[in-house]
Amino acid sequence: MIEASHLQKMFGSFQAVHDISLQVDDGEVVALLGPNGAGKTTTVRMLAAILKPTHGYARIAGLDVVENAQEVRKVVGLLTEFPGLYHRMRPVEYLQFFGSLQGLDNATCLQRSEQLLKRFDLWHARGKRIDSFSKGMKQKVALIRALIHDPPVLYLDEPTTAMDPHSARTVRDAIAELREAHRTILLTTHNLIEAETLADRIVIVRGGQIIAEGTIDQLTRQLLGDPVWELRFAFAVDSTEVSPLLENLVQIEATGSDWVQYRCTEAHLINPQLLTRLAAKHLPVLSLTQLSRSLEEIYLRTIVDEAERGTWDDQTQPALDTEIPSPTASSTAPLAAISPEE
Amino acid sequence: MYWTSVRTIAQRELNETMSDWRVLAPTFILTFCLPLVLIAATQVAVDFIDTEGTVAQLVPFVMMLVGFIPTSFSIITALEAFVGERERNSLESLLAMPISDTQLYLGKLISSLFPPLFSAFMGMCFFTVMLRITAPDLFAMGLNFRYVTIILMLITTKAVVMVAGAVIISSHTTSIRAANLLASFVLLPTTALVQVEGILMLGSGGGWRVLQLIVPFLIIVAVALIRTGMGAFNREEILSREHEELSWKNIVKTFLTFLREYRPAGIQPDQYQGLSFSARRFYRYEMPALLREYRLPILIAAIAALSGIVAGGYIGQYYNVPILNFYLENIGTSPEPGFFLSLYIFGNNIRVSLLSNILSLFVFGVFAFLVPAIAFAQVSFVANMLHQRGGSWFAFDTDSPLQFLTAYVLPHGIIELPIAILGAAMGIRIGASLLSPPPGFTVGQNVLWAFAQYCKVWLFILLPGFLLGSLIEGLITPHIISTLYGG
Repeated sequence: MIEASHLQKMFGSFQAVHDISLQVDDGEVVALLGPNGAGKTTTVRMLAAILKPTHGYARIAGLDVVENAQEVRKVVGLLTEFPGLYHRMRPVEYLQFFGSLQGLDNATCLQRSEQLLKRFDLWHARGKRIDSFSKGMKQKVALIRALIHDPPVLYLDEPTTAMDPHSARTVRDAIAELREAHRTILLTTHNLIEAETLADRIVIVRGGQIIAEGTIDQLTRQLLGDPVWELRFAFAVDSTEVSPLLENLVQIEATGSDWVQYRCTEAHLINPQLLTRLAAKHLPVLSLTQLSRSLEEIYLRTIVDEAERGTWDDQTQPALDTEIPSPTASSTAPLAAISPEE
Repeated sequence: MYWTSVRTIAQRELNETMSDWRVLAPTFILTFCLPLVLIAATQVAVDFIDTEGTVAQLVPFVMMLVGFIPTSFSIITALEAFVGERERNSLESLLAMPISDTQLYLGKLISSLFPPLFSAFMGMCFFTVMLRITAPDLFAMGLNFRYVTIILMLITTKAVVMVAGAVIISSHTTSIRAANLLASFVLLPTTALVQVEGILMLGSGGGWRVLQLIVPFLIIVAVALIRTGMGAFNREEILSREHEELSWKNIVKTFLTFLREYRPAGIQPDQYQGLSFSARRFYRYEMPALLREYRLPILIAAIAALSGIVAGGYIGQYYNVPILNFYLENIGTSPEPGFFLSLYIFGNNIRVSLLSNILSLFVFGVFAFLVPAIAFAQVSFVANMLHQRGGSWFAFDTDSPLQFLTAYVLPHGIIELPIAILGAAMGIRIGASLLSPPPGFTVGQNVLWAFAQYCKVWLFILLPGFLLGSLIEGLITPHIISTLYGG
């Protein structure tokens, strides 16, 4: 549905996008992540046929963004970074204005407006002017504007910014529904939990190019290595007794008096063998769990790795959303810092 | 669908304007209170001067003011058309709609035109009706169908010019503050024009004939501005401006890049070869290429010269202009030849060339346009007056226009007049640089490019040309005059 090949965008001598190639399939939700100034908005603007690429090409639903710019804009719904509403208007008037520019007739416009305003809990406020709305309500109106013509492709830039948790949940549910309805969605966000929850695939952009891409599982494996498992015993055990049992099966990452953390590639084969060995030695296993690794870890690891390669700019550090929870002990258990001897 | 979108955009803008009391209140005051104040003042003036005839002469001018003042206020809405939306972050969602740049531009233009025209017409209607009721004698003496028609056309065309200029400014600036500052470039020439129109209205009866000629001139300017605005407007340029930043270092660097090496307008500075300036290359390759690129400004400057010739002849035929009669009375008198005369002429030419071209930036090239127009009008006026006195175009005698041209114009004019046309073309290009940046250029780059070309041409073509012309005019022309006129 979205196909971009080697997109590049120059503004005079300033290179906003260096080289972006992207493929988003029908009904797929892809999250575009990256620090401020990474080129996400410019990429979306090119894909929305607002800006012309300096090099490369992009096709949306088979339509070239340069050759068929107007047709592309018809099949795309764009939620911009800032809601940018006309504050003197009422929501229905506002939606009718944009619906009319999208070529909808009045009746369809009214019907869609009513349906969407109800869906996003704004129907009760239809008679009020937009300037009296809260930030979250304005954001919802902007989202409805993007949906008014029922486009098959949606570009959503920070869709839940400034929303209270309930409204944010409504919007996330709506996005999930749209995915169910086979809409193709490109989500630009700093809210990593949102990306993790909603996206089928993650694309991390920095310096105008893609530095990592894949499903969360693929990225986790690629960037953080094999999954880490934690084995807990019912009481403190002698590590010299446990380690030899595990060493030729897994890679031990860290140990404690009553626990061991290890990595393994094929857990479905290794873990049963491991438990058999422990049982044979009468070591009482309390639990065996896979440690969760969040998108935040993946994201930060990607960005830090890039920074270590030498081109990191302090001004482009990621502005992470405050909704990210503080790391729990298990999720941030040291993966490499603690030596097995400890 | 095409016009539906234009109408939808225009309608929304109008609804927004009409629901904003901060726009409505002053417009209402200027439209309805200003005429009342002016009518009251007219009564006071009649009592004070005690001659209705004198005051009646003022009535058309007052009527024009009643139309012009709310119009000039209303361009605030036009100035906000694009840059206001950009500041309120609502422009991007509009740019994402399936409408063409022209549709968007036309929608904004039409909606911006309505408030000034509405307030101007309402104001003028109210003024005439109130004048008819309160001072029927003044009404009868001061206004007639022809005057009212001309004033209506002048105000309408001026409003279109102002709004079209304001919308162009709005689409090329990054903040409302910058747009308001640049608005003076629209208001300044139009206010100057109102003053000229006032003089023509208050002067002899012939002034109305000249006013009639201003209407088509304004129509041409309006059409040019609208076409320029439509041609130069595109989404790309608007969004690209987000990445612009004011850096004096970059400005100087860009200017020097444009100065050192000629590449056609629109080529980005980083695509220049980085050559250092070469006078040889400039004369041999760059100047011919530049002349090709400046074909349109040169044509406009030539049209200015041609209209000067026509206007000079026309004025000579119908009007008595004391300042031009001075030239006529002094035909045959030769100035004292010498180096100081040359120096004086050179200084004068340089002053006119520099000021008219630099100031052209602020008045869309009008000053540069006027230079050849006035120069050729003076020559044409004197030649026509001599012809009317009975002088022959084909024989030499004291009243012969041919002898006048041969003695007073030809020796130095053969160099100075083409140079003046080229200089005017450079100024017209500078004036147009704000209005129509070519694809690939920002307005700032376009202005720097036009100034860089002007600097090179001024230094290597105009300056030597004016110097040579002045030397001929100061040292040779007086001798030719003495020889031909026997002075």
